[in-house]
Amino acid sequence: MKTSWLILPWNEWRRRPVRTGVTVMGVSLAVAALFSLVAFERGYRRGLQAELDRLGAHILVVPKGCPYDAASLALHGANWPCHLSADYLAEIRAVPGVKAAMPALMSALRDPAGQLVVYVGTDASLLGLRPQWRIRGRFPEHGAEILAGCELAHRYGWHVGDAVRLPGLTNVSATICGLLEVTHGAEDYFIHLPLAEAQRQFRRPNELTHVLVRLADPTRLDEMVRQLHGCGAGMNLNVVPLTHLFRTFQQLINSTRSLLACIVVVAGLVAVVGVANALLMAVGERTREIGVFRALGASRADIVRVVLAEAVMVCLAGAGVGIALAVAGARSLEVWLRTRLPLVPAGGFAAWDNYACGACVLGAVALGALAAWVPAWRACEVPPQAAMRGLGGGW
Amino acid sequence: MNPSPDQAVVAAEALTKVYRRAAEDVRALDGVSLTVRRGEFVAIVGPSGAGKTTLLNLLGCMDAPSSGRLWLEGREVQQLNERGRTHLRRERLGFVFQHFGLVPTLTVAENVALPLVFARRTADGRVSRLLEKVGLSSRRNHRPHELSGGEMQRVAIARALVNEPALLLADEPTGNLDSVTGEAVIALLRQLNAEGLTVVVVTHNPALAGAAGRQLRLADGRLAG
Ligand SMILES: Nc1ncnc2c1ncn2[C@@H]1O[C@H](COP(=O)(O)OP(=O)(O)OP(=O)(O)O)[C@@H](O)[C@H]1O
Ligand SMILES: [Mg+2]
Repeated sequence: MKTSWLILPWNEWRRRPVRTGVTVMGVSLAVAALFSLVAFERGYRRGLQAELDRLGAHILVVPKGCPYDAASLALHGANWPCHLSADYLAEIRAVPGVKAAMPALMSALRDPAGQLVVYVGTDASLLGLRPQWRIRGRFPEHGAEILAGCELAHRYGWHVGDAVRLPGLTNVSATICGLLEVTHGAEDYFIHLPLAEAQRQFRRPNELTHVLVRLADPTRLDEMVRQLHGCGAGMNLNVVPLTHLFRTFQQLINSTRSLLACIVVVAGLVAVVGVANALLMAVGERTREIGVFRALGASRADIVRVVLAEAVMVCLAGAGVGIALAVAGARSLEVWLRTRLPLVPAGGFAAWDNYACGACVLGAVALGALAAWVPAWRACEVPPQAAMRGLGGGW
Repeated sequence: MNPSPDQAVVAAEALTKVYRRAAEDVRALDGVSLTVRRGEFVAIVGPSGAGKTTLLNLLGCMDAPSSGRLWLEGREVQQLNERGRTHLRRERLGFVFQHFGLVPTLTVAENVALPLVFARRTADGRVSRLLEKVGLSSRRNHRPHELSGGEMQRVAIARALVNEPALLLADEPTGNLDSVTGEAVIALLRQLNAEGLTVVVVTHNPALAGAAGRQLRLADGRLAG
């Protein structure tokens, strides 16, 4: 049987459970913040990418002068700040390399209960952009027909074939010809209807809010943007590659990201100081014991190793607790972030993230190593003759 | 005096230790020369402040003398660096303290095995054999606070022997014990010495000093008589 040197840090850890517990909590807060930051960062990126994929388009066309970040927010369902003429659609469709161009007139209304209902007037070209859609029933073809998102249908108790009053509009009825099955996107809350009908209901004859363009070859994006600018209507259009748009979002959340990063850094520093302080106390209280170790033949490196292992053990325990806290608090954090961020991808962030977990474990080890520095140095400076000092009783 | 470094376990020549303090220098040890041969049992006695612990620290390679020379088993200690002295303590010396110096969170067996941990060595039954020798086999999984003072000191002696040292150094090993429990420790030290172990103890206890084969009297940092 070989006794492991790890029993020394391990037992030290258990010697003062309250102090250890408090130190672990300090570390766990820092780790929880780090986990949330990394998980949020990665979840946000993944969510945006999923959203982009769901849109099925590469380019957003909006009227000139329309602030395109505002426009892109509106993709989530809102009232648009400006409109463009439906005549441009044909010109866009005529540009070589455009596989599909979907016209849309979007309007967001409140139902009597104050809940948001988003209407999108469009045509069947939408289906070319959304091959992943599952529709119970069929896509609307005539006026007075609508396709309802599953969440809306659930909210109002709608079924295919029902004749319903359109929420948010006065005295307008329509037949539900199709229900859109769950997409995990904003469209679960949309009502799609024929473009002409939308233009009539919202008194925007021959107008659109935006056009979504799908390219035959997405790798030719820059060239296609130039071509669309060059077409007859190009002067009046703002041609926005959606990838640029989502990059803009990433920048919009920079302030939130920096806030979280600051919290992580401050919490990390506090944890380092806390662990270092706890270790310094433990080393100070154990001066004679460390002297005994040295007298029994422990090298300076052995002493450093024990203190370092103590720090890393505490930090790893903190990492475990911190990750658990972060996972448990992920829902609340998301609710809070939704109130602060201009755009949160539908579907939210995943609570679990392997990468964030790995980052936390590495971060905790680094934190422990940093905190152990001064205490380890002090401990290995304890001379062996310290074993002889202090005749006070005890063992 | 001319120490013969080759035969002696300890040979010291004019060992002097001066502690520098703010106001004055304290000459804790002043030209001490001595020899301890293999198998001897030596007691260092003398009044408080005479320099007994200081001498034991020097003999135990825990501190460096201000001047003088020291050989342990024929090797001159001054020529060793910090690592060499650590190695010497680990492999050739065993220590017993007045305060026992057991780790409270470790069991008796783990405490005894501690020097093996620092030496990166396996126990190979040594821990059990030593616990049997000191009469504490049945307490191997107890913690120190569950033992009496005399039992703790016997555990500490077992720990000091686990790396098979050439020399056992003890500073007031019965200082924290009453006379009855002290007797058991003295008997154990005598038995170990009878089995061939070289022992140097510092003590105020006449019973322990009497058990030793030779007494060295220290006063004001010098050997008397
Ligand atoms: N680290 C130190 N710094 C300064 N002076 C010291 C130090 N250690 C010991 N001394 C002094 O050296 C002298 C001898 O001390 P030492 O501890 O060796 O005495 P001792 O014989 O062991 O006494 P006791 O029987 O009380 O244990 C004392 O005057 C003490 O004050
Ligand atoms: Mg002393």
